[in-house]
Amino acid sequence: MIEFINVVKKYNHDVVALDNINLKMEKGEFAFLVGPSGSGKSTFLKLMIREEEATSGKILIDGKDIGKLKLKEIPYLRRKIGFVFQDFRLLYDRTVAENIEFALRIIEASEREIRSQIKNVLEMVGLTGKERYYPNQLSGGEQQRVALARALSTKPPIIIADEPTGNLDPATANDIFKSLLDINSRGTTILIVTHAKDIVNNLNKRVIALDHGKIVKDEERGGY
Amino acid sequence: MTTRTYLIKEGYENLKKHGGKTISTILIICATMLVLGIFIILFQNVNKNVETVRLEQGLQALISDNATVEEKIYMQDQIKNIEHVKDIEYLDKEAAYEDAKELFKDQEYFLEGLENVQIFPESFVITFDDIEYAEQVKAEVEKIDGIYKVKYDESTIQAVITISNIANVFLLGVGFVLLVVSIFIISNTIKLAVYSNKREIFIMRYIGATNKFIKRPFIVEGTIMGLLSAVISFIIISLAYVVLYARLPHVGSTLGVFGFVPYSTLWYQVLIAYLALGLFIGLFGSAISIKRYLKV
Repeated sequence: MIEFINVVKKYNHDVVALDNINLKMEKGEFAFLVGPSGSGKSTFLKLMIREEEATSGKILIDGKDIGKLKLKEIPYLRRKIGFVFQDFRLLYDRTVAENIEFALRIIEASEREIRSQIKNVLEMVGLTGKERYYPNQLSGGEQQRVALARALSTKPPIIIADEPTGNLDPATANDIFKSLLDINSRGTTILIVTHAKDIVNNLNKRVIALDHGKIVKDEERGGY
Repeated sequence: MTTRTYLIKEGYENLKKHGGKTISTILIICATMLVLGIFIILFQNVNKNVETVRLEQGLQALISDNATVEEKIYMQDQIKNIEHVKDIEYLDKEAAYEDAKELFKDQEYFLEGLENVQIFPESFVITFDDIEYAEQVKAEVEKIDGIYKVKYDESTIQAVITISNIANVFLLGVGFVLLVVSIFIISNTIKLAVYSNKREIFIMRYIGATNKFIKRPFIVEGTIMGLLSAVISFIIISLAYVVLYARLPHVGSTLGVFGFVPYSTLWYQVLIAYLALGLFIGLFGSAISIKRYLKV
């Protein structure tokens, strides 16, 4: 599903952000990407969605070398990957339902699909009944669930989350991870960048650790 | 709701969201469009007046006194066959005398002692389909046997050509400058709109929106602004012209004076020009600013 082959990313020719990364994630896998600030985690995610291009090496998503995509094909790559941000990135002048509708309009879903998907994803993240609320009428945890629902609404086979619980208290963070596990159990491949040590240790899932742009640890059932 | 109607709705919502900026942009575009409109109207009026003068201008070919009727008919046929001759009228001695009387009606003493119509020459008055060919036609007429002189008012014809050329160049120049200004204003507003929507655009890109999808609401926004400005300007300039027309000299009503044409002959030209302009500056202004300021 996701494969990095000898991937190197340099900035300004000499600053190495990622150094010879080799990694494979199968369909339906759940993994944490951990490491200190500046270790290359954000660059890793940006390369996956072709926000940036690798200096050398290959990145395969669904078997396709994304380095060879033409500019106009990039949106279709991004539709395969649902992105969840630490700061939710919701539209505060739109209701919960409209935030999800926004994503579905982008992929040009039909009217019927839009209605049914809003209902489905809100049910998945436990926000049924909050359709007409505006984001600022919700708690931080609920807002992140809306963001998760939005990422799920377009049915991407992969979800990547960049510190999704960074702004949340531990109990709420736990709930978010439960939702992510639930989504994973339905077959979605999930990669989470996080600093939530306790949760990583408790869940006992695959852990990929980066430091100074290199993979320093990759364990099937690892800890932080 | 289809994707297209959704994007149009988004463009409309953007307009409302950027209310203050939208209104000020429309007002500024209206101001430039009104100036442009005044020039379009002046341009049309100058053209109509020039056209009227052009049509009035003609050659007068004087016929030799000893020409027979048959010869005159033959001359008339020859003139008719010359390229760019629109019309030909025979003026007998009586008519020439009447013309002279009309010309000197305030200075009758000029004609004292000239009551004998025989001293006035017979002539053909020739009009052209295009004044630019006056010289060419004159040369052809001069070659005809029995025509002893060809007269025409060169200075008026030259003046008419010069005025219409200067007016055309000047109005095109002003029009171009105002067009560039309008495009600049619209593109600036759209640039601000893009900036204030950067959060939406960021999310759109991550979700997988195509460039077209991201651009379209801004293009809709620019186009609506352009067209609204066009309609408002059209209403203002139409009312102003109709009110002023009643107080201004009308074309053809006073000889030798610049006259204005009725709005009924102008309004559709102004409307089409405004709509085309509004559409063009809306589309073009928004398209260039998105291309420049949107990293897609």
